[in-house]
Formats: sequence, structure tokens, C-alpha cells
Amino acid sequence: MSTIRLRGGRIYDPTNGIDGEVRDIGMRDGRIVELHPQEKVDHDYDLSGCIVMAGGIDLHTHIGGGKVNLARMMLPEDHRARRERDTLLELASSGCCTPGTLETGYRYAEMGYTAAFEPAMLAANARQAHMEMGDTPILDHGAYVMLGNEEVFLEMLARGEDFERVRDYVGWSINASKAMGVKVVNPGGISAFKFNQRKLDVDENHVHWQVTPRRVVHTLARALRELGVPHPLHIHASNLGVAGNIESTLATIDALEGLPGHLTHIQFHTYGTEGPKKFSSATRQLIEKLKGAPNVSIDVGQIIFGQTVTASGDTMRQFANADLGNPRKYVGGDIECDAGCGVVPFRYREQSYVNALQWAIGLEIFLRMDDPWRVVLTTDHPNGGPFTSYPHLIKLLMDKSFRDEQLARLHPDVAAMADLREIGRELSLYDIAIMTRAGPAKLLGLSDRGQLGVGAAADIAVYREQSDREAMFATPEYVFKDGSLVARRGRLEAVPTGGTHFIEPEYDPAIEKTLERHYRQHLSIDWRHAKISKDELCSCSNHGSLLPCKLHGGGRT
Amino acid sequence: MNTPTLAPSPTAEHQTAAGAADAPWTCPFCSLLCDGFSLQDGDPPRLIGSDCPRALKSLDAFVRPPKAVTPTIDGVTATLDAALDAAAARLAKARLPLFGGLATDVSGMRQLYRLANARGAVFDHAHGDALMHTLRPLQDRGQLFSTLAEIRSRADLVICIGTDAANYPEFFRRIAPAADGGLQRRTVFVGAQPPAQAIDRSSVGRVTGQGDLFDTVATLAALVDQRRLPDAAPELIELANAIRAARYCVLVWEPAQLPEHGALITEAMLRLAMSFNRSTRGGMFALSGVDGLQTANAAMSWLSGLPLRSRVGPQGLEHQPLQFATARLLANNAVDLLLWVASFGTHLPPPSASMPRIVLGHPMLAPHCAGGDTVFIPVATPGINADGHLLRADSVVALPLHAIREEGLPGVADIAHALATRLARAAKATR
Repeated sequence: MSTIRLRGGRIYDPTNGIDGEVRDIGMRDGRIVELHPQEKVDHDYDLSGCIVMAGGIDLHTHIGGGKVNLARMMLPEDHRARRERDTLLELASSGCCTPGTLETGYRYAEMGYTAAFEPAMLAANARQAHMEMGDTPILDHGAYVMLGNEEVFLEMLARGEDFERVRDYVGWSINASKAMGVKVVNPGGISAFKFNQRKLDVDENHVHWQVTPRRVVHTLARALRELGVPHPLHIHASNLGVAGNIESTLATIDALEGLPGHLTHIQFHTYGTEGPKKFSSATRQLIEKLKGAPNVSIDVGQIIFGQTVTASGDTMRQFANADLGNPRKYVGGDIECDAGCGVVPFRYREQSYVNALQWAIGLEIFLRMDDPWRVVLTTDHPNGGPFTSYPHLIKLLMDKSFRDEQLARLHPDVAAMADLREIGRELSLYDIAIMTRAGPAKLLGLSDRGQLGVGAAADIAVYREQSDREAMFATPEYVFKDGSLVARRGRLEAVPTGGTHFIEPEYDPAIEKTLERHYRQHLSIDWRHAKISKDELCSCSNHGSLLPCKLHGGGRT
Repeated sequence: MNTPTLAPSPTAEHQTAAGAADAPWTCPFCSLLCDGFSLQDGDPPRLIGSDCPRALKSLDAFVRPPKAVTPTIDGVTATLDAALDAAAARLAKARLPLFGGLATDVSGMRQLYRLANARGAVFDHAHGDALMHTLRPLQDRGQLFSTLAEIRSRADLVICIGTDAANYPEFFRRIAPAADGGLQRRTVFVGAQPPAQAIDRSSVGRVTGQGDLFDTVATLAALVDQRRLPDAAPELIELANAIRAARYCVLVWEPAQLPEHGALITEAMLRLAMSFNRSTRGGMFALSGVDGLQTANAAMSWLSGLPLRSRVGPQGLEHQPLQFATARLLANNAVDLLLWVASFGTHLPPPSASMPRIVLGHPMLAPHCAGGDTVFIPVATPGINADGHLLRADSVVALPLHAIREEGLPGVADIAHALATRLARAAKATR
């Protein structure tokens, strides 16, 4: 493989504390290397006038799996726009809020992202999720397996099974589905909905299993810590989208009792009930709570005005919102005593009071959070908006006057009253580098990603410095993946197959006897098909590299 | 690095996996993908643990021929290389080919998609008409679904609408409640006769219906909504009450059995299901997706963003649920080459067509391909002599298929890959 020097770029590498210093970077064999200034190289790129960051990492983006694919089939109207493609490199693919996997890979890479993580992989649908991610070119990928709503887990809690056995089950599930972490969605609520329960607060019992979301969250978070899983429990909290749900959000943080937890698309969970419309921002309460909870990280799930589709495992909440669909269509499914799926197309409107406030709340959270290492830039693609709107979002965060212009266009009550008006903060390039690369890499336990130190993977994005941050972040000058040039000024240069990140925590295999019995009695596939082997993962994920991730502290011993 | 490949090499998936020796066998012959019984090699292979008539009939196609079947070009025996050369040359000349049949697995679809990008092609499945009975309602209104394990564990009322599920012989066994689970279930057949076996007769009901299937379902939906219908049949009123009283009701239907306006019937069922879900719970289950239909549609959708009956053209993608039907395209000569894929057996012979045909099919399809202007390449069957993956009827569960024997046949993915390579080479030579 060739040796490459990136000369004279301004480096933003928060992992190594580098904030805008002009330095050279060398690459060889897919890794970042130290190059002697006189050393001969195969390619020398003059990066004067450019800034250099590690490749972007999206730790929460719905890029693969059954519900995303149903959303694609459901919305042919999202695929009508045609763009010119490079027929030598690109295969045909289309869509904006429900892009095909090929389109997803191409557009992420052109934007300087080199890794993306599917947050809601159902164990029952894990093979398909890996297939779709494997067909998402260029990007490395991984997924969090959804736990906390399977009947087998809830039954274990209900009968008071020893924690160690539950922990073994969690370890087994991660291994079986080849996951990178665990996500819990409306803890216990997807299952409760199958028993016709329509609401579940954090301290309310599941109508059948008599288990509370608090217990589900705490048990899973503790299991992950003890298993040495680097990524904290990924939590889609109770009562998504409901006015006043800040109470559930704060209670969920309490449920962690100091254990690591990542509250995802927190914007959808930061609503109060004040004001004439009984719908208000609860950002201040959230931020206050987070100051005292260093164990908690968040991603925002910013909404972006325009057409999108919401796809979630949270059937309880999605069904409740089915009538708000625009266009009016709904997909819902109860899945394999495991989880569920709900898809509602949605159009966020500037003139809607609720949508305008949701927009303002998202930005307030970004700007009021004092620790950028604990907040990740996401739109919860496609639920808040498509990932292609990240450059626009970055501009909103870095440019107060642009933000004010946008705010002025919103529903007049929000434009006049939102706390956002008072926030003068403009995020720096260093902040952005944390929220889009260094931070997510750290939260995922990917020590050699999201940074530009010697030995790190040579995933690099080079942007031409421009005052218009949206234009700058939309079209990087160069994007390198594992040391190869994959995109240049918005055009692809190569389309390698990405690798799969996964973890293999240890567990006591004795749990398999219990699970085998459960499969035989309640499920619909042979127990021996429950587990995806590495060979099978390889075939599902299109023969990309397998990237096993290190466990914290070497895992359980 | 500059190759737009979907996979470095498709061959790995199509070799017999030695490591799969202790893996259960997955039956590829209907979309329930049963993996609870096993298969012993033989001529035909012997099914152990099931007497599924569909599987048994399908297995009859796997008696090894006394002499290996070879590719043919216009009915004349040819080597694989010569057949690939001929097929690639004909594809290169085609302005708008149709990739039909599509009875293949995930890796087959991945490589066919890449091949389609080289030439432009319309994709439709042999069961495309049945698919449109569920896809068009999905695009207009949505979908509510339940899966086998949910039905098995939860459904206290199963309503089979216009089907006795005879084409899916293992269905009632697959959804049977656990013996000690205490779930009491009633199964009602609307507009269909209950099967003689498979379910406990004491819990079976039959409802004739009122008018045609659409009228019946629409009436039922109105009754569940508690609208006053003075002329409603008492048996429908009783069924509507049962739905409202059920804890978890599942509507089962078979899209392939629906008449031409089947999409409207599916939509009426969806309206019914949405309606009862406002007060109780339940879903729908389509007995559909055989011959890789579910797989082809899912893979097409994730790769391109659009489902089947879409065209990969020089100007991008185009989706036409009615216009891109195989029968219509062939009858109107709207396409100029048919590439037909039928790897699961002999029951999907290539349609006759007044245009060149390339058939990637089960070896016993050879007699259907002996005519002029047809290149025939025999291919392996996932689950018999190749490994692979298929998606189940519910479009959630994907299962691995395991070869029980090795016969040296290439897979669909291998052939599609080889054709794409030849086309790329030819295109390079002319640049």
C-alpha cells in the first residue's frame, strides 16, 4: 500500500488535544504513521487552507434493518429525485430520508463520515441488519442489539432470576447477534403494548410481567458494566414525544444510579408542560441534571424542517402518533416476542408551534451542554431529519446570526419566546470535532478511531476552510478511508467494503440451556440458528473486515 | 480499490459449508423457512420429521440425473465459459432487459443488482402480481404485521381470510401454541373451508361472508367500528364481537389467492386491523413470499431504495408497480431480453418470449430452454447443493440455508458475477 503525506493542514484532533495546529500527517498501510519530513512518499497533498479531522462517526443512525427497509418500500415518493451518478463507481441508489444502503454509504462518505452505527438491531432481525450494513459501502459499521422488551428477559426479571444469569443472557445476546452494544427502547414498553398497555412510566409496572422500566434500565446498565462493554447502555427513554416527559427522562437518569448510560435523541425526551399550549422546553432541567451526572452522555436527535420518516422500535409511542403521519400511512409490527417496529412518515413544519419548539430545544441542548465529550451530533436519522442535513446543523451551531435568521422564520410564539434567542454561544471547530468524531469514538470504545494520532486508523476528512460552514462540511476536499482516497470534492474516488465492529463479552454458557428451552417453547426458529457465527457474519456483511472491539478492563474475569 | 463491487467474490457462499454439518436444515421451498426438521441426502433427499406435501413435492426435483446437465446455447450443449460468453454478448446487445423470476437468495440478488447496473434492467419476480397485492397498500396506507412467534405465543383469535393455508402446509403447526402455555385459541375461516387436519376441530369456526371477500372484510371493519349496519349477517356481527373481545387477533391471508383487485382487499384488512388495534391488539400475517419473493424484494429495496418492479436505468431508478409486470412487458415487447432466474426447482419454467432469453435455472429446466435464442445455465439450489440466506414470510427473520450435498453447480451469484465481469471487460475494451 502507498505512503501518503498530508502537508500543511490545520489539525483538529481533540483526542490528542490538538486545536488547530498546522502539522503534517502521514499514512501507510491504512494507518497513521510518523513520517520524516524528507521521507519520500507516493502521494503528497498540499493542504494549505484546509482543516483536517478524523473521519466522522455517527453513533446513532438508522441505516439498516427491517423497519428502515419497510420505510423505503413505503415511500417510493422519497426516491423520485434523480441525481447524476458516476456510473464507473456508483451503483444506482436513491432516496433522501429513506436512502438505499448504497446511497447511504456514498453520501456519508462524500460528507467526510467513515463509520456509522445502527442503534436498533432486533436480535430476530440481526442477520438482515448486518446484510444491509454490509451493503452500505465505504463506511465501517456496527449495531446495538435491542434488549429490554424480550419476553425471556422480562420473565427472568419477573421471576427474580439471579442477576448473574441475566448478565449472562445479555452477554450471550451481544455475542449471538454480533452487536457492538445494547440499546433499550421504551424499557418494557414495547412488550407492554403487546399486552394492550398504552402508557408506561418509569415506576409503573408492566401490566403482565409486573416489572418497571426503572428495573429494566438498571439491570441492563449494570450487566454491561460488568461485562466490560465499552459503550454505555444506549437508552431510548420512556414516553418519547410526550409533553412533560422530562420527568421520565430525569427518572431514567436516576435509575442508572451512577452506572454509565447514553440517553439517545434526548431532544424528543426534554419536554415540559408549561405555557398556554402545555408544551415547553425543559432544557434547563435536563442540563442541570446532566451536570451532576457525569455517567450520562447524550445525543440530540435534532429535528430538521421538511419531509422525513420516523422509524422506531417504540410501537407504543409510534402507534399513538399514527394519525399524525404525513403522508398518512403507518407501518406497525409485533416481532418474535422480541421487540417491535413502527414507521410514521412525518413533515416537520416551521409554522407548527410544536415542531418549532422541538427545533429550538435540540439546539438549546447542544449549546447549553458544557461538556462536548458527552453530547454527540445526531438527527437520529431519519427520525429528526436525514443525515445529509448535518452540515446545515453544524452551521446552526457555529453561526449565531444564521441561527437567528432561521429562528425568525418559525412559529411566532417560539420565535419570540424561545430561550434559544438568549444563547450567544457559537461552537468552535474543536467542539464540532469532538461531537462528530472524538466523542463518539470514545463513547464506543474505539480507541484507534476518531483521532489522528500515530497508529490510528487512517480515516481522515479534509475540509477547505470557508466561512460558510454548511458548504464547508457538505463537500470535503478529500476523504480517506483506511488510508485510501474515497472521495474528493463531492465525488467518489473508490468504493471499498466497510468492516463490522462488534464485541464478544464473556458469559457462562450454562445460560444456553435456559434459552434453548425458551426457543423451543415460545419462538419460531431452531435454537441452533439463534447465533450468528463469525463465518456467517462475514457472508452477511458482504465479506468486509471483522473488527472485534476490546472490552473494558479485559471483560469479566 | 476502484471497483464498485458489492462483494469481492460471491463464490464462498455457494460452496458446501463443512462447518454447517451440525446446523439444522432450513427448508427453502416455502417462505415459512421451517428449520425444525431435517433432510437426509438421497435421490430424492429424504425429509425427516415432517410430511409437508409441498416440501416432498419440491424434493422430487432433486433426484440426481444420471449425467450432469450442462449449459446449452440455443439448445446445443456448451461449456460454461461458452454459455457465459454467449449470455454476456446477448446482454451487451440488449437495450432494456428484464430480470425476471428472481427465485434466488440474498447473494444472488446482490450480484444480479450489480449486473443490472452494467446494462440497465427492470426487476420483477415470478410472483410479482402477488407482491403488488401487499406492496401497493403498503405504499398507500401502510401495513400491520405480526410474526410467527408472536402468533404462537399470543394470538387467541386467528382469522384466515379467503385461505385455508393449504399452500403453506406447516403454517398451523408453526403457530400452534405451546402445549403447556395455557393459551386458548379460536381459528375462524372466512370465505374458505377449514382444512381437514392441522387444527383442533373444536376450536375452529367458519364464516361464509357477505358478498365477495372485499365486501365481507369491509363489513367486518364497519362492525368492529361499531357502525350500525342493519343488513349485516349475524355470523359477521358475532365475529366482529369476537375480534373486539380478543386479546390478540391475527388476520391471515394469502395474496396470491386474491383476485385482480387484491390490493383493495388487503387495504380493507388493514383498515380492519388498524381499527381493532385502537382498543385491543393484533396484527396481520401474509402467507406470501415463496421462491425468494420476500428476499428479492427486500434486497432490491435496501440496495436501490425502491422495491421490485423497478428499473435500474441510465437516468436512475424508476418504480412502476403496474407497468413493470413481467406478463405485460413481455406481451408488449417493451423489453428486448429476458434473464430468468429460477433456482429453487422446476415449477417456474421461463415464460416463452419473442426475444432472447438467458435462463439461470434448476438443471431440470433444461427441456424448457431447448428452443432458439436461449442460453441456459444450470445453477445450484440454496438449501440443497448450496448455502445461502433467505428472508421469511414476515420479512423480519432471515435464516441461513445449508447445503446437504455438493454437485459442483455454480450459484446464481457466481453466474451474475461472471456476466458482470465479462460485460465490464467488454466495455473497457471499447472505451
